[in-house]
Amino acid sequence: MQQTQSTKWMTHGEAGLMLFFAMAAFVCAFAAAKALDAPFAFHASLAAVASGVASFAIMNRYLDRPASLPPEEISGKPNYNLGPIKFASFMAMFWGIAGFAVGLLIASQLAWPLLNLDLPWTSFGRLRPLHTSAVIFAFGGNVLIATSFYVVQRTCRTRLVGDLAPWFVVLGYNFFIVIAGTGYLLGVTQSKEYAEPEWYADLWLTIVWVVYLVVFVMTLVKRKEPHIFVANWFYLAFIVTIAVLHLGNNLALPVSLLGSKSYIAWAGVQDAMFQWWYGHNAVGFFLTAGFLAIMYYFIPKRAERPVYSYRLSIIHFWSLIFLYIWAGPHHLHYTALPDWTQTLGMTFSVILWMPSWGGMINGLMTLSGAWDKLRTDPVLRMLVVSVAFYGMSTFEGPLMSIKVVNSLSHYTDWTIGHVHSGALGWVGFVSFGALYCLVPWLWGRKELYSLKLVNWHFWISTIGIVLYISAMWVSGILQGLMWRAYTSLGFLEYSFIETVEAMHPFYVIRAAGGALFLIGALIMAYNLWMTVRASEADVGTELALQSAE
Amino acid sequence: MKAILIVHNIASDLVTSVWTPIFVGLFIAIVIYALWPRNQAVFDQASRMPLRED
Repeated sequence: MQQTQSTKWMTHGEAGLMLFFAMAAFVCAFAAAKALDAPFAFHASLAAVASGVASFAIMNRYLDRPASLPPEEISGKPNYNLGPIKFASFMAMFWGIAGFAVGLLIASQLAWPLLNLDLPWTSFGRLRPLHTSAVIFAFGGNVLIATSFYVVQRTCRTRLVGDLAPWFVVLGYNFFIVIAGTGYLLGVTQSKEYAEPEWYADLWLTIVWVVYLVVFVMTLVKRKEPHIFVANWFYLAFIVTIAVLHLGNNLALPVSLLGSKSYIAWAGVQDAMFQWWYGHNAVGFFLTAGFLAIMYYFIPKRAERPVYSYRLSIIHFWSLIFLYIWAGPHHLHYTALPDWTQTLGMTFSVILWMPSWGGMINGLMTLSGAWDKLRTDPVLRMLVVSVAFYGMSTFEGPLMSIKVVNSLSHYTDWTIGHVHSGALGWVGFVSFGALYCLVPWLWGRKELYSLKLVNWHFWISTIGIVLYISAMWVSGILQGLMWRAYTSLGFLEYSFIETVEAMHPFYVIRAAGGALFLIGALIMAYNLWMTVRASEADVGTELALQSAE
Repeated sequence: MKAILIVHNIASDLVTSVWTPIFVGLFIAIVIYALWPRNQAVFDQASRMPLRED
């Protein structure tokens, strides 16, 4: 890895990775030719092409770059690596719109089943995981990768570790999304909620995730600040726990190395428990811990106020870590799962109320002395309202985990409403707020193209969320009550189809809410696009720092 | 084989009975660290980390 100005050498990483991808291209092409089923052949072909392109791109990049790698510092200031963050931010917006659009489509399918089109690829069963994965893992995941790479650099005052590694993480992760998403449409699934991708996609994600962990941890290790800022703790918990959950819930044995089907190591109720240990902690560590990291960095930064109570943030973090992992069994109330396990899950879910609200209070109170900014800054308003939604859905969650409540709410639309108040209100809004902050910073713009459009986005989406969740509350409780209604003779009062018919108006309202949310996101995409395209005159000093990127 | 099973059972019993107090102890230690008055200055600085510019 010795480089001088006169002679230019490939780094070990460049040479090794280029070789790896060149070989992978051949192996994948071979697998595609010998594949046992068509989707596997398609995915192997995709991997072969992607590997070939990656190998070529590494060579091209090497030929284009100067002899020495980008410096760690430029005139005493850290030379932050922003390229991969820009890419992940762009992909977040792209997948967000795709995911919201598919959500709107499947919401409409529930209201008007004709929209299933009678085709396997467009049926609700295949599109639903496409929607959930697109919004959670593709949109949310890219937001988390982008913000984590940004925050860890800024709060450690050091450049991201690795030259190709950060690119490998963002590109590799998005390739995983493509494999997962196209797989759902083609009917490839493990049938595990939020863990649908089959064994080969899971293996690839494992490699990407380990590199992500290494890049993040090594950047922390070489930090210039003695203290590790609390947001980084949350990001680290997110990365480590998702790795553990992913490995545990995907211990599957493929039927053949040349086919897409696999069987999970667990069976029966153990499999169910593993699945919901995974599923609930994906909520806890992907959709909560990761986005709390965003809250702890972006709200203080945007409000220009310090974190309200740093002590509380430490207690918030550790209590969340110690408690969350036990809450999973509340997804399996009144099933074959032993009763004591259900009660344990319920108890921990109720206890979780405290750290959740502790965190919410910490986020909201960070506004102390800056509450007036809520009137003038719609981005900050979005961030703060997201925390309010966080408080609301983490109040509702423990409530629904109580067995008596769950006996009414489980399997009904109430659950869908609950999830979306968290997903649209909390995860969606905090991500939007973070991207609205991040894009001007990354591209060296003073401000967004239009704050007025942010205001429109905020109100349109908020009305959309309110329509969505209130429709699902009414629908869910109605559904639950209809299911448990008996006649005086002890017969069920309603047939199942009658309960389905009763849902129709609420499904229409829900779809309308989803449409508003999508419109808001489209306004946002336009706004961000115009921000990036803003005239060079607006370019701030930050751009100078990125020159070597 | 039987010996291995016995050892395994003893070990797993030990682990399952020991980790609860360990985790509780660890958590209490963290809370004490967070509330320790002398750490206040460090935390005050840390709470301003997002606001710093290079």
